[in-house]
Amino acid sequence: MSMALADRISAVVFFALGVALLIGGWTMERLEFRQIHPASIPGLVPMILGVLLAICAILLFITSRTADRDAPRLVFGSWTRLGLTALICTGYAAGLVGWLSYFWATLMFTFVFALVFSFPLHADRPAQAKALASAATLAICVAWGTALLFQEVFLVRLP
Amino acid sequence: MNGLADLGAGLLTLATPEMIFHAAWSTLLGIFVGSLPGLTATMGVALMTTLTYSLDPNTAILVLICMYVGAIYGGSRSAILLNIPGTPASAATSLDGYPLALAGRAGYAMGLATAGSALGTIVGVVMLVLVAPPLAEAALNFGSFEFFWLAVFGILVSGQLTADTTPLKGYIAGILGLAVAMIGSEGIHAHVRFNMGLSDLNAGIALIPAMVGAFGFAEVLTAMWNRAGKLAGKKDSSDRTIPDLIDLWRYKFTIARSGIIGTFVGIIPGVGEDIGAWASYAAAKRTSKEASQFGKGSHEGLIAAETGNSAVVPGSLIPALTLAVPGSASSAVLIAALFIHGIRPGPLIVIEQPQFIGLISAMVLLATVFIAFYGLTLTRLFVQVLRVPYAYLMPVVFVLCVIGTFALSQRLFDVYIMVGFGLVGFVLRQMKYPMAPLVLGIILGSLLDKSLRRGLTLSDGDLTPFFTRPVSAGFVILIVLSILLNIRAVRRLAARPWHWIRGRRDA
Repeated sequence: MSMALADRISAVVFFALGVALLIGGWTMERLEFRQIHPASIPGLVPMILGVLLAICAILLFITSRTADRDAPRLVFGSWTRLGLTALICTGYAAGLVGWLSYFWATLMFTFVFALVFSFPLHADRPAQAKALASAATLAICVAWGTALLFQEVFLVRLP
Repeated sequence: MNGLADLGAGLLTLATPEMIFHAAWSTLLGIFVGSLPGLTATMGVALMTTLTYSLDPNTAILVLICMYVGAIYGGSRSAILLNIPGTPASAATSLDGYPLALAGRAGYAMGLATAGSALGTIVGVVMLVLVAPPLAEAALNFGSFEFFWLAVFGILVSGQLTADTTPLKGYIAGILGLAVAMIGSEGIHAHVRFNMGLSDLNAGIALIPAMVGAFGFAEVLTAMWNRAGKLAGKKDSSDRTIPDLIDLWRYKFTIARSGIIGTFVGIIPGVGEDIGAWASYAAAKRTSKEASQFGKGSHEGLIAAETGNSAVVPGSLIPALTLAVPGSASSAVLIAALFIHGIRPGPLIVIEQPQFIGLISAMVLLATVFIAFYGLTLTRLFVQVLRVPYAYLMPVVFVLCVIGTFALSQRLFDVYIMVGFGLVGFVLRQMKYPMAPLVLGIILGSLLDKSLRRGLTLSDGDLTPFFTRPVSAGFVILIVLSILLNIRAVRRLAARPWHWIRGRRDA
């Protein structure tokens, strides 16, 4: 994907967001029953921001159209690694923590993360066993260490 | 000279074994964080903030300052050895550092980087103690009108200078940050805005979860997405880490100039260390007698870049302490940390805690002593740190992101905010939207909103005072000029007198 196309897509999203801010500010409670000064209504700044965001989005859309030819391309890394990282991390933060106790959630997350990205699929058995043992050791140390630190030292009631 | 006396008093306060111990480990940790590509100073300071809740305020701030100074310096390790800047601040360092490493002079390059960083920070600290107190006193006269324009100016300049491709993306990032700050109870009538029916959003979005997401989780994703760099392993037998004093003396003007440029870049709201390094590097190249060597392993280029980025650290503390307007993304987190520990940055700091500017300057100085010590003695250890596989490092970083965010107010909602900001921050970053104006927007949103509406109430809806009061008028002129200078035709017109003068001089 070229940067110009990405800019056009983001410009449309930001234009919509700007319009939403403008409408949100316009329709916001004006607190007339509290007899506040009309210039201090809570929706004033959101409305201004909405207009500014929409203007910037339009300008970005226009400039990305003219700069299409010499626009750089988006630089991509490994999609598999990105997808797996996002999935494992989001699964841990938004799913495991709160569902399992912090210690077990962290132990599972660290073990899976370390193993997925370090397991030598095509290596011999001892190398694979070493990767497994390293991931397990790291997982135990991280889960136990952070639980101890936050619960006992910082007196945080862990999720 | 009161500032220098306060610096001396600050140094005496820190001269206890406990403080020196905390400075020692946190600076070392900062260098490790900074040296690992993908982990930035801002992320280090944000994560460390979550680990310092239970420390007393002075110790906590010392730990955060040491982490900040250490991480900015640490970025030079991977810039020199891997050609991948550990933090964006060290991008200019890699231009001359990596060629030196390829020539087998990595140790000397790191020695020069250490000397440059230490000297740059010292220049910045001197400016901090001299400039901050009078600036805070001047800011005591600021009213709503001036604070409104200060916030606008900060976001505008930050957006303009940190955007990679077009300033528009910087402005959009800044407006997005301001929009995020609109969520939750507003500061004048306590009316809840844009909470989308979620009571968790009534108090708004806290800065720490947003920062940990945008700089922690987003960096974990970036680091796992990118490929690792190649370590420069060649070694020259004459290589050593202690730089020649004659080398440093030869570049004394470059060091002084880069230190001053870095400090001024730091004072500009939300601009940051990378711009300080690039501006110093460009200035050194323009005036150097050996300009052709720049980019091929120039000692002067390396020193200029490192002095410039390190001087930004104390420079960025000047507006952070005196105006509560961060000079860089990392100092934005520091402001949040100061509030957490009961210290109120802003003009009143010279009245409420007059010694604090001296104390924080002393902290920066202490951290500088440690970076000089570690930089010249632990080169091998830093090389080993660069070999730690990301598969083992990144889960530890992410666990700290999660538990650190949770510990702030012990609610899972903050963790979800962190994840959301991480994912959105990653996408925005790939599309070259800078993060610094976004963060600055979140910090300054409340100030901008309250100042505008309070100012309008005071003037009974009249906009004239926003343009006629002297400081406000100055800000308006600066804002208009900085917008107009984006237009090529205006830039050409503005450059005409300079071309004419240069032409006359050459003739």
